Amino acid sequence: MTILDLSDEQRAVAELAREIGMEVLSDSARAAEARGAVPDTVWQTLFDSGLTMPVPEELGGSGIGDASTLLVALENLAHGDAGITLAAVSSGTAALLLARHGTGAHDDALKRLVTNPDARSAVALYEAHGRGGAEFATTIAVTDNGLVRLSGHKVAVPFADSAEAFVVVGVDATTAIPRAVVVPRKSSGVNVRPYGPTLALGAAAWGSADFDVTLPADSLLGTVEDSDTLLNSVSLLRLAVAAIAVGTAQRSIEYAAHYATERVAFGRPIATFQGVSFPLAEAQMRIDAARLECAELAAALDTSHTGSIDLVGKVSAAVAYATQVAVEATRTAVQTLGGHGYIVEHPVELWYRSATSLSTVDNDPSLSAYQPVL
Amino acid sequence: MTVSLSKELLDYAEALKDWSIKQCRPHAREVDRSHALPTDWREIMATAPLLPDSLPDGHWVTKLVTYEAIGYGDMWALYAMNNGIGQLVVKALGTPEQVKRWNDPVEQNGWVTGFALTEPGFGSDTSMVATTAVRDGDSWVINGAKIYCSYGAVADYVVVFATIDPALRGKGIRAFVVEKDNPGMVVTKANEHKLGIRGWPTTALAFDDCRIPVGNALGWSNGELPANLRGQAAALESLSVNRPNLSGAAIGIAQAAIDMTADILADRKSDFSAHRWSLISDELAAMNSTLDRGRRAALVAQRLLDRGQTDRVAAATAKAFAPENCERIVLRCMQLLGPEATSEELLLEKWYRDLKIFDIFEGSGEIQRLIVARSLVGKDA
Repeated sequence: MTILDLSDEQRAVAELAREIGMEVLSDSARAAEARGAVPDTVWQTLFDSGLTMPVPEELGGSGIGDASTLLVALENLAHGDAGITLAAVSSGTAALLLARHGTGAHDDALKRLVTNPDARSAVALYEAHGRGGAEFATTIAVTDNGLVRLSGHKVAVPFADSAEAFVVVGVDATTAIPRAVVVPRKSSGVNVRPYGPTLALGAAAWGSADFDVTLPADSLLGTVEDSDTLLNSVSLLRLAVAAIAVGTAQRSIEYAAHYATERVAFGRPIATFQGVSFPLAEAQMRIDAARLECAELAAALDTSHTGSIDLVGKVSAAVAYATQVAVEATRTAVQTLGGHGYIVEHPVELWYRSATSLSTVDNDPSLSAYQPVL
Repeated sequence: MTVSLSKELLDYAEALKDWSIKQCRPHAREVDRSHALPTDWREIMATAPLLPDSLPDGHWVTKLVTYEAIGYGDMWALYAMNNGIGQLVVKALGTPEQVKRWNDPVEQNGWVTGFALTEPGFGSDTSMVATTAVRDGDSWVINGAKIYCSYGAVADYVVVFATIDPALRGKGIRAFVVEKDNPGMVVTKANEHKLGIRGWPTTALAFDDCRIPVGNALGWSNGELPANLRGQAAALESLSVNRPNLSGAAIGIAQAAIDMTADILADRKSDFSAHRWSLISDELAAMNSTLDRGRRAALVAQRLLDRGQTDRVAAATAKAFAPENCERIVLRCMQLLGPEATSEELLLEKWYRDLKIFDIFEGSGEIQRLIVARSLVGKDA
């Protein structure tokens, strides 16, 4: 962990998360990908650790309570595997939205998520079409007879085929104010299309979902007045993806750097060639920049009591940067290992795929553009 | 120097591209999943349009254009159609008798040849060949291990690079023909488990007191191996001429990705804001410009070759320029389409994995930069 001034609690979280990442997640990464799910024992370990269930005690949970510490946990878990980390935190962030913005009507669902390791939920947030994670065409309307109408299309929905319920984020049909609503997966009008095998992150079991649903009034999370705090929670979800990307990138650079010190060519370790070591150094600089940017935004989320729409644009930029940095860093790692980076005996090809998949989620072409390499 | 292509070649390329889309692309996913060519690949190959008899464009330019056209459909057909590059070494180092024995059947009977250079302990530094060939009477006895040997498990013969004197380092390397089923040549892994190009058989081989006749050393004549025969140089030479073709294949894949992405996006135009649509249109145009630059670099290198000028720097430029650009283009295509595009329902994710090999094999991007740098500053680089 570079430069960050961690509290004692954050340091303990970092150590625990790194240990679970390196000793549990890393070894299970291939298996999780093959079966498209987190192995039960691994899930139980994460569940027991509380690292991916960010519901603090005062809201009925026992996990991490603040954005800054959650990012520390996710980055370090991602040293082990991005897919498993993403899967675990997907259920956790659904619980977080219920805990922060839910009413008494959501107590049972929340309790189930924080106490039962078999329960799965997910937030349906992203929509593709260049909207990133901050703009929604999905509409939520309260009808004259007090019911809620939800209509929209979501992508990269975790546990698309197994979540008990989705927390769907959209905007009020008339005021365009951000709203969220809880939708049982089996509701009439929910059509889910699991992606099946994907480039990476198989453990998260992504799919697309179409919603054209009428729901009871108490399905709504939060009120019109606290839409800013809902945006803050959404920002945290988006930064979680960035933190996983940063952890994946950091691990890949460390792995490649170690390899470069041992692999000999032209009479010396390849690390002594600047053509090899400078790209690693540049990747490290970018990773540090991405981590600091995310950490600063997480701290702002933690101290912003009223919520702030000003943060949203900064979060978009930070996520775009971090995920692109991760793609380039993991690519550098593959390139450092050369032919060995292209075979499954080394994990760098998996990290390259994971970072690439993460970079497709939250993308707005007005924030990041294609640039040729040469 | 600009390179223009004849109408005949352009027509042929169009026909080949069309064939590749219709006949090869439908098998792309199956090849990726099964780590093998389609069972009826020979029948599929037999339906390919035939090369016209007299094209005015030259052998290497024609080959380059062919690679892009086939790569556009899916690159599995390229390695199905390809016979390997072992025979290039035979042509470069072999005596007339050896060329007759080991090259002619490749051209006449479709023999497949392996190329065994890389070892677990080295890749880019080809002077580190640790596999040994020791003379024992009328035989050479080969010991060592090779990885990434293209077609190693299926080839009619494998050209194996081994040292006859480790103290000489690069200068001690010679090339040996080991025929299929020769005792002592053991397939330790028929096809390595790779990120992409999974149907391309790259083999791990072990040589365990593998005994071959003395005459299987390329260049063997009058009972000896000429001292000035440079196996390492021949290996690098045979890689060099093929480098621009590989860029051609990468460009074909990236072009297919751009076209596929543009088609899908066009159907979704109404989902994008006008501002974003304008940005995306500009990005797609910029991607096409990138590919055109890559095409020019590769064409120049192969036109030089057709003129009899082997220009390793031009080949290196071609090989360094396109592949990394192509990776980034397919990455951006998936980003523009969103996470759905990483699913196996589209071929983009496969092409992205396939493409990553191009900046690694047959001379990595780092090695190409070294070659270009040395042309500027000499051996200091």
